[in-house]
Amino acid sequence: MNAPSSIPALEVRGVSKSFPGVKALDNVSFTIKRNEVVGLIGENGAGKTSLLKVLNGIYQPDEGELLVDGRPVKLASPRQAFDTGIAMVFQEQTILPSLTVAQNIFLGREEEFLRFGLVSKARMNEAAAVELKKVHLDIHPGTACVKLSFADRQMVEIAKALSLDSRITGNITILLDEPTSVLERKEVELLFAIIADLKKRASIAFISHRLDEVLAVSDRVYVMRDGKVVKEFDGKDVTEKDMHQHMVGRQLHTEYYREARQTACSDKVLIEARNLSKAGAFRNVSFALRAGEVLGIAGVIGSGREDLARCLAGHTKSDTGTLEVNGQRARFASVPQATAQGVGLVPAERKVEGLVAQFSVAENMTLAALPKFVAKGLLNFGAETAQAKSWIDRLKIKTPSPHAMTGGLSGGNQQKVVLAKWRIAGVKVLILDHPTRGIDVGAKEDVYELVRDMTSEGLAVILLGDTLEEVIGLSSRILVMRDGEVTASFEAPPGGKPTQIDLVQHMV
Amino acid sequence: MSKEWKERLHTYLPIVFLIVLVLLVGTYDPSFFSVGNFLTVTADTMTLFLMASGVTLVIMIGGIDLSIQAVASMASCILAAYLGRFGMWTIPLAVLGGAVAGLAGSLVSTRLRIPSFIATLAVSGVVLSAGYWFSDTRSINIPPDLSASYLSWAVGDTLGIPNEIWVGVVAMVVLSVLLQLTPFGRLIRGIGAQEQAVIASGINVDRIKIAAYVLSGTMAALAGVVMAARLGSGSPTLANEFLLPAIAAIIVGGTAITGGVGSVWRTFVGALIVQVVRIGMTFMGVSVFAQQIVFGVILVAAVAITLDRSKLLVVK
Repeated sequence: MNAPSSIPALEVRGVSKSFPGVKALDNVSFTIKRNEVVGLIGENGAGKTSLLKVLNGIYQPDEGELLVDGRPVKLASPRQAFDTGIAMVFQEQTILPSLTVAQNIFLGREEEFLRFGLVSKARMNEAAAVELKKVHLDIHPGTACVKLSFADRQMVEIAKALSLDSRITGNITILLDEPTSVLERKEVELLFAIIADLKKRASIAFISHRLDEVLAVSDRVYVMRDGKVVKEFDGKDVTEKDMHQHMVGRQLHTEYYREARQTACSDKVLIEARNLSKAGAFRNVSFALRAGEVLGIAGVIGSGREDLARCLAGHTKSDTGTLEVNGQRARFASVPQATAQGVGLVPAERKVEGLVAQFSVAENMTLAALPKFVAKGLLNFGAETAQAKSWIDRLKIKTPSPHAMTGGLSGGNQQKVVLAKWRIAGVKVLILDHPTRGIDVGAKEDVYELVRDMTSEGLAVILLGDTLEEVIGLSSRILVMRDGEVTASFEAPPGGKPTQIDLVQHMV
Repeated sequence: MSKEWKERLHTYLPIVFLIVLVLLVGTYDPSFFSVGNFLTVTADTMTLFLMASGVTLVIMIGGIDLSIQAVASMASCILAAYLGRFGMWTIPLAVLGGAVAGLAGSLVSTRLRIPSFIATLAVSGVVLSAGYWFSDTRSINIPPDLSASYLSWAVGDTLGIPNEIWVGVVAMVVLSVLLQLTPFGRLIRGIGAQEQAVIASGINVDRIKIAAYVLSGTMAALAGVVMAARLGSGSPTLANEFLLPAIAAIIVGGTAITGGVGSVWRTFVGALIVQVVRIGMTFMGVSVFAQQIVFGVILVAAVAITLDRSKLLVVK
């Protein structure tokens, strides 16, 4: 192994980046030395991906500077980053399924393969074969990516980043944003072998949720929290426990999640599911949801919990199984049917399904309950505004007026508008899909407070938390799902909560 | 420029543009400035406005209705062919024909999940043939005595103002109330701005969409009836060359082609702009056949000015 040189391959000095309502990066400084693997860890929303996107030219920082090999640079686009020697493997895959493997690897760089003004497929496939060999992927470069498994696509994505190696003579830096989340154990080991090999020639930044993986490959580890770098570890003398403590940064969770207000659930069953199944999504899911209860559902991506939530809210239909609402057989074939039975969904994609950004706060709040604000066929604007005002006060929503455009509010305030919408519609069961995604800490606490308000009023909540910690802190009962099936169920009374380890062993 | 100012400009620019155009034409021909002439110009604009008024709702939900000119022509044929037989009842019959065409297009679009562009283009073909069938492929004259007994509401004068204007104003008021003051109008805006959020709020979006297309067909048919009343005849090609000016009127008035933003009074202003441009061109000796070129240019220019294209990620 080469000794790391004194001038860092990549350095970030005091970088800040804000989005409306959220400071994604707050004065972050970060270096990757030559031939070094740097781990980057933190909870969801801590700013890891934002940092990598700044390094890859997707985001332009509001403040601070970037240095490559000690020289200040401005990266206006991923292409420019690529030409500077920085390539990124994304968390969400960027492979275009309809193109071939070779076309994907060299997307945007077709001019390298021109012959008489046309792209030479043969030459491109030849070059792609070289890149594929690096990741030990035994497929023909002319294969359409749609035919590949997710894991293979991920390897193609990595090959695409590695193609930088044969094109740039200077130092190269590879940014890996959760590259292992869809890989099998064997492929992860292969990836680690590639990283060890690549280290001789490149510098690497590595994001993963799996702390053991970060420990295994990293020379140094940065911990991020709420947009800041809170801790830097030398990779040799750190344990998973140390890392975890700094990621969370709070020892006392009890107050944060308002556990004192956790209600004992009543005997009244609001929804009962029996053997719900949907092909390719979930199988034989049964549970009873009682008034006053927060039912947490834990599971990794692909566990089927998102599909289950959407099915319960009428967005998709289940294939078999039964659903009872208040003891009556119910079948939710559409969203209106679910809302009519008092079931609402706060979606993870707030700006797509949660609210109409062009609508005013009042208009969004009454969207699911418009008939309540109609008199003689016309909208009753007075009643609407009054209702909106009372919820703005109650939920402490920061908006200039009920008539301000919702799109101009911060993420946290927008989320409160979505919650108010369902409260005004009078739902009995609210399904929260990542309710605190992308909102700041203060707004998160307001959302938690609101969840407690709802349960103490006899509503029931199904929670797909943003983090395990959140699921454990808020829920009175927790279902764990894996590969579409419920693998465990935990009672979670205040003071008797299961630990993350308890849940994780049933999740993976 | 602040966002608020931009919005204000967006609202008032069409009115300012209309006033400038009127002044321009007026300096070219001073006889243009007279109450009588203004009333004539406005009355001449009403068929175009009626055609465009219903499509405004469709464009606001982010769709398009390409069948309106065929629908208007068919309505004129139904009116002219059956006025002698059914009398007053022919008028609701002709308008109903338009509503059915709108219903057909919307059912194809919502049930079969086919883009409205294709669905209404296909319906347009069917409706065109229906027009030929009703009229036996000919232009049909409406005898003056029938016109006098059944169509005077559309062509005469009331209180010194041409009846076309009364019809247009009533249509504008009714549609504006529907759009601004009812849940239906609220949902039209919501669907255009962010359809998925409206669906996720438990609203039967298809029903709202179908209603919008039915209104569009209804208003186009009403336009065809008024057109036939004014011309004294119905023909399967009566409203040809009306589609482009109608869409131009909507967009020039400031209704966003991407949906979510718009109003019927904007379309009223837009229709007047199109009409004044047409008169201006006639004054300047631009051939009638070349005028469609100008409408094409105006349409592109209006979209280019009103649309914040930097926010569009892709254009298809």
